[in-house]
Parts: sequence; C-alpha cells; structure tokens
Amino acid sequence: MRNSLVPPGRLSGGGWQGYRDGEPGAAWHGRHLWVTAAATCAAGVFSALVQWPNWDGSSALAGVNLTTTMLFVFTGLMLRLESGQRSVAWALVFAGLIRSLDFADAWSGPGWAIYVFLFGSVDRVLGAYALLRYPNAALRRGQRWFLILLTGWMMVGHVVMLVTARPQWDGLPASAWWPALAPNMTVNDVANYVVNAGLGVFAVVFVGLLGLRLARTAGLDRIVITPIIVAGIASTIAAGASAVVQMLTPLDGTPAGIYTVEGAVDLTLPLAFLVAVVQRTLLFRNITALTAQISGGADIDSVRYALRSTLHDPTLEILDLSETGSSADPVDGLASDSGPPVPVLPEQQGDRLVEFIRTEEGGAPIAVVLADPALGRYRGLFDAAVQTSGLALKNAQLQAQAAREKLQQMRASRARIVEAEVAERRRIERDLHDGVQQNLLGLAAQLSLAMGQAGDGPARETLAQVQDGLRGVLSELRDLAHGIHPAVLTHGGLAAALGDVAERLPLHVRVNVPATRVPEAVEATAYFVACEALANVVKHSRATTATVTVHIAESELNMEIADDGVGGVESRGHGLSNIQDRVNALDGEVAIVSPPGGGTRLEVKIPCG
Amino acid sequence: MRLAIADDSGLFRSSLTLLLEASGAEVVASVVSGAELLPAIVGDPLDAVILDIRMPPTYTDEGITTAAELRRLYRHVGVLVLSTYAETSYASELLETVHAGVGYLLKDNVTDVGMLVDSLGRVAAGETVIDPTIVRRLLQKDRRPGALDSLNDRERLVLRHMAEGRSNVGIARELYLSPRTVEAHVTSIFLKLGLDQVDTENNRVRAVLTYLRSGDS
Repeated sequence: MRNSLVPPGRLSGGGWQGYRDGEPGAAWHGRHLWVTAAATCAAGVFSALVQWPNWDGSSALAGVNLTTTMLFVFTGLMLRLESGQRSVAWALVFAGLIRSLDFADAWSGPGWAIYVFLFGSVDRVLGAYALLRYPNAALRRGQRWFLILLTGWMMVGHVVMLVTARPQWDGLPASAWWPALAPNMTVNDVANYVVNAGLGVFAVVFVGLLGLRLARTAGLDRIVITPIIVAGIASTIAAGASAVVQMLTPLDGTPAGIYTVEGAVDLTLPLAFLVAVVQRTLLFRNITALTAQISGGADIDSVRYALRSTLHDPTLEILDLSETGSSADPVDGLASDSGPPVPVLPEQQGDRLVEFIRTEEGGAPIAVVLADPALGRYRGLFDAAVQTSGLALKNAQLQAQAAREKLQQMRASRARIVEAEVAERRRIERDLHDGVQQNLLGLAAQLSLAMGQAGDGPARETLAQVQDGLRGVLSELRDLAHGIHPAVLTHGGLAAALGDVAERLPLHVRVNVPATRVPEAVEATAYFVACEALANVVKHSRATTATVTVHIAESELNMEIADDGVGGVESRGHGLSNIQDRVNALDGEVAIVSPPGGGTRLEVKIPCG
Repeated sequence: MRLAIADDSGLFRSSLTLLLEASGAEVVASVVSGAELLPAIVGDPLDAVILDIRMPPTYTDEGITTAAELRRLYRHVGVLVLSTYAETSYASELLETVHAGVGYLLKDNVTDVGMLVDSLGRVAAGETVIDPTIVRRLLQKDRRPGALDSLNDRERLVLRHMAEGRSNVGIARELYLSPRTVEAHVTSIFLKLGLDQVDTENNRVRAVLTYLRSGDS
C-alpha cells in the first residue's frame, strides 16, 4: 500500500518543483489525482477495519474517525507535491492513519489497549509538527524543543501510568496480560493528574507558538497559513478540553461523545491544510488583477506598487536597469538563471530573491526584481507576476520611445519654425532697408537738391513741408525695420543689440552679456524675450534699475532679467505667456520670482547645443 | 572739397552726388562697394570719403571695415559713414575702429545739406562727428535720479556738443564762447559725471557716449 503512494520518478532527485513551470493546476491533474484518490480510499478501508467493533454502538465516532483519517491522508498526499513539504505531507498521512488506530482498543484485546495507552497520542505530535512547520523549510529551535519535550512527556507519563495500573482498572479482565510492575491506585491517579495537567500546559504553550507564528508571518505566507493556525488553535483547545474531561473521569467512565466532538474539531485541521493548498492555487487570480492593472504599460513605480500588492511583499524592490544599469556601481557580476552576469545596484541581494526582467530571451535585462526569499515558495506566482511586469515595462518603454520620437520631431519642427520666422523677419528688414528706405533716401536727397535750386518763394515752403513729412516717414520706417528685425542683432549679436535696447529705455539698465555668439534662433528669441520683459518692467514695475545678465554655457543660454520694482507679477499674465511661448518653442524654460514689494526676476533657459 | 562715395543704392548715390556737387564739392569716385572704392581712389588726394555702412558682399558692416582700411592707407582722409541705423552700438564700434577724422551720420541728414557739408568738413579736419539725432536721444533718455541732473543748462549744451564729437574750439565757435570757458565747462562736466579725464577727442566722445548710453562711468 505504501509503495503505491509514491508516484515513480516524481519524488526522486530534488523533488517536485511545485508550480514552477507556470502550471498551477499540475497537482490536480492526471495520475496524481488517481493515485491520491486510490490511496485515500485505501486509508478509508484501513480506518473502517481498524475500529470495526465501534461501528456497533459508537458509529458516530467511527464515522468521524473514518472521515478524519481519509481527509488527513488526502491532504497529506496533495501537500506532497509542494516542494520542501514532504515531511509535513507524511506527518499528515501518518497522523490520519494513527488517528483511526487510536480506537483499535475497540477490539478488546490487551495488546491493543496497551498500544493505545502508549501511542494513542502520537497523531497529535505529528499534527503539531505539521502545524508548526508548514510552509517553512525547517522548524525553529524552540519549536523543535517543544515537540521533543511533548513527545518525551507523553511517553514517560504514559509508561508510568501503564506500569502503575492493573488491567481491570482499564475495564479489562484481571487475567489479561499487563505489564503491571508496581500497581498502585494512588500513584496511578497522581500520574494521571500530573500527565494530563502537563499536557494542558503544553496545549497552552502550543497555542502561544501558533499565535507567534501568525504574528511573525507576513505576505502571502500569512494568507496561506491563517486557516491552518486557526484550525490548529481550535483543535488544540478541543484536545485540551478532552484532556480535562479524561482527567476528571475514571478511565472506563470517559464518555464516547467527547471523542466524537474532539474528532469533529480535528477534522478542521486537514480541511485547513487543504484550504491552504487550494489557496496557493487561487493566488494566481492575483495575476489576472495584476495584468489588468499594468499590462497596458506602466512606469517602474506603478509596477513596483502593483508587484508589492500582488505578492504581498512590501520589501519588494524593482530597479530600472535600462537607464541606471550601465552607470550604476556594480557590486559584483550577479549570475542570473540565463545569460551573462549582469551588474546590479548595490543591494543586499545575498538574502533576496533576485529575478531579471528581459524583453526578449537572452536580451539585456531592463529591470531586476529583488524580493523576500519567502516568495520562493510561490515561485510560479512570482514568475508569472514578474513576467507580466516585464510586459508592462516593455509596453511602457515602447510608448515612451514613441512619445520621445514624436516629441523630438515636434521640437525639431518648432525649432525650424522659429528659424524660418527669424530668417523671414531678417529678409523683410533687408528688403525694407535696401529697397524702400534707400529709394526714399534717394528721393530725399533729390528733394534737398530741388530746394537748393528753387530759391526763395512759395514753392520752397511747399518743398520744406514735403521734406519734413519725408523725415517723419524715414524715421518711422527706420523704427519699423528695426522692430521687425534689428540688424544689430545679426551683425553684433545679443550683447550689442541688448545694449541698444537698454539705451532707449527710461531707466537705468545694466547689461552683462558676453560677446559669444549662439544660433540665430536662440539669439532672436532671447532678444525678443528681453525686450518684452524690459517693456513690462517699464510699464508695470516702477523700477529704477534693471539688470540683464546672460550666461552662455556649452549647451544652454541662461538669461536673467531682474528689476528693483514693486514685484507681484502674476506668473500667468499675458506678457509672460508671450515669453513662455517663445521660449517653449525652442524647448526652453521660464521661471519668474516676483514677491510683492521685492522686485521681479525672470529666468530663462534656452538650449543652444 | 574732393570726395568719393561708396553706396550700393544707385538712386541714393546719384542723388547724393548731385546734391554735394550743387553745394560746391567735387565727387571724384562713385562706386557700389568698399572693395571697388580702394582701387578707384589710388593716387587721388581726397578730403573725405562717404561710406554706406551696409554694402556688398555681406551687407552687414562693410562701411566700418572699409573705414578702417582707408585710415590704414590714408591717414588724413576724413571718413564719414552713412547709415540707416540709429543704434549707438554701430557708432561706438566705428569710433573704436577709427580713432580720428571719422563720423557716423544717419542717412536722413541728406535732407539737411548744410549739416552734411559741415560734417564732411569736420572729418576732413580730423574731428569726430556723431549724429545729433542719436545724441539727442541719449540726452533725452528719461533717467530716474541721475548725475545729469547736476549739470546746469550751459553744461548740458556743452555735453551735447561733446557727444556730437566737437572739439573745445568747435564748441566755443558754436556757442560763441571763449575756448577757456568751454574748457572750464568740460572739466566741470567730467567732474560732476565722475568721468576720468581723457587724452584724445575720440576717447572723449567714446567716454561721453558710453556714459550717456548706460549711465555708468
């Protein structure tokens, strides 16, 4: 029977890998299910036979025992498929079998009675082991000592009780064989009290240990073990109550009902384990939620948040290797499960679960996930979550790339528009200068000549009026041409042009501008921004002094226009939005600081690389 | 007065030639660019040259570079640069490039032939000329409390003539004052504005212009 429980080949060589290969339902399919079903039925037959006489009279107890045994065996066999949990699985299987064996004394033979007397509670130790251990890889030191002490206490206590009793005290004929070495009613009674009282203490400590486990466990483990711990505490309390009843009544007077109730409560234990096993499978629903949350593309922060909540691991960290990877200080080459060693940001990866995210098989990783090693037990879930995250990051990357390209195109086209506008303005100014202005000046010269020839008379007066008018026109035309595009900007650059602007303004303007030349569009933009800003200063600030400072770095022009006026400029004013538009067209930035009464400082940055 | 003209506008050039000849000057060369001017005047003693500031081939500041070249070749020929730009930066640049006998006039002054001929005479005599329109604008600049307020009317008048490039003698002649009186005013002005005393007239004009542009000494 035992051999048939072991699926050939499955448990050899390091054990079954859990849900590793993304097959969460693997445990529920195929031969395993048949083997499990057959073994469970066999356990049922075993249970029915072992307590055969009980079916007369105590059929409720027998039924509960049968169910408990079958459930324990079934759950143990299911659990066997989880990596690192084989001992827990076997503990549950044997606990189930021994559970029915406990009632073999119904066969009314002295051998059975002695067996039950001595080993009747071994299933408790096995159950306690499973409760303390699952789903960890090993027991803690305190938990191990608890189990050793519990076993020792029970064995020694039961042996003392056995050798100080006579068979008839247990309801057996006095002639039955009994290792009654020193029968003594008083000693036996005292031993009974002491042993059971001790067991009560053990029960309290055990409840404490279970509570401690629950408190210490976080994340997915907590979700999984909570039903187990609750069932464990319930059945411990039931066992404790049963022990109290047994202690207070003579051995042959214990009501069978107490065993039935205790057995029914014990039934929750395998059920809880079963729930845990199912729970782990159901955790995959989280992946669906995760996919819905981020698969459309998400940045690293959203992915981090989603992974943390999906995997219930607040310590989980995801690092972007696509940008920081190359510049990061590599601690050491960390070998991943595929591909060459990859440098990772300084992190204590030693005790962390590390998984790289790649957009394609064997490609360079774009991110790395560092998680609580406890998630190793949920490898399938973890891998699926990481895979989904990879897709999300990849999508986000593609979207960002597309947006970046579009932005670049837009920038380039805006810059071209600005350049074209500057070129057009320059052309208009040149046409005005070389055409209309020169021709008018030629006419003005001829007019002067005509006036010289006209001599004194009414004609001369008329000509003088025409000349005055012509002067006005020439002056206006000069201002118009200058307004369209100041020739000095093309010829002398920002420094000369801003110097000329300053000298026309009715306040003291300090101009600290280097003679360095920058691209025409940048110069023109900076020039118009300065003009606009200084016009605002003149109009609104009531300042007496303004300063225009320009710094030209390798790839950026910084301009600051400050005044000592009344301040309080709205950052959304019309004049400012003009400035903003011009600067933004070259992908620059504008900032204004203008506290009421504290002057105004406008800062402009324009890239000129 | 023997003159040469370089200006790329044919209409303006011919009108100007007629105007100057009508006022008694002799225009010995009339060309479209600085590059054509230099060979055209070789071996011909001139009193002054009129240059357009913007000429082929680059149409930016050929007037100024040609002026520098002329000064290098002919120490005593006056150079008058005509321009449609009323910006001081061009005038300043010209004064930095050519140190004496140089002038910067707006082309609008062709409506005032007397002023034009006077300016030509001054640059031929080694004086400096700055367009009165530009100087007037600099002086009119509405400064909130400034050192100019400390000047009296007479001193302001002297300052204007200084800015236009006149020498002490020229100012004295204009204002019907004795040169010693003008000298006293000039000293007082420099003191009040906090300007350093300068050695040449060109430097004096530049210092005054710079002061008027920014208010800084």
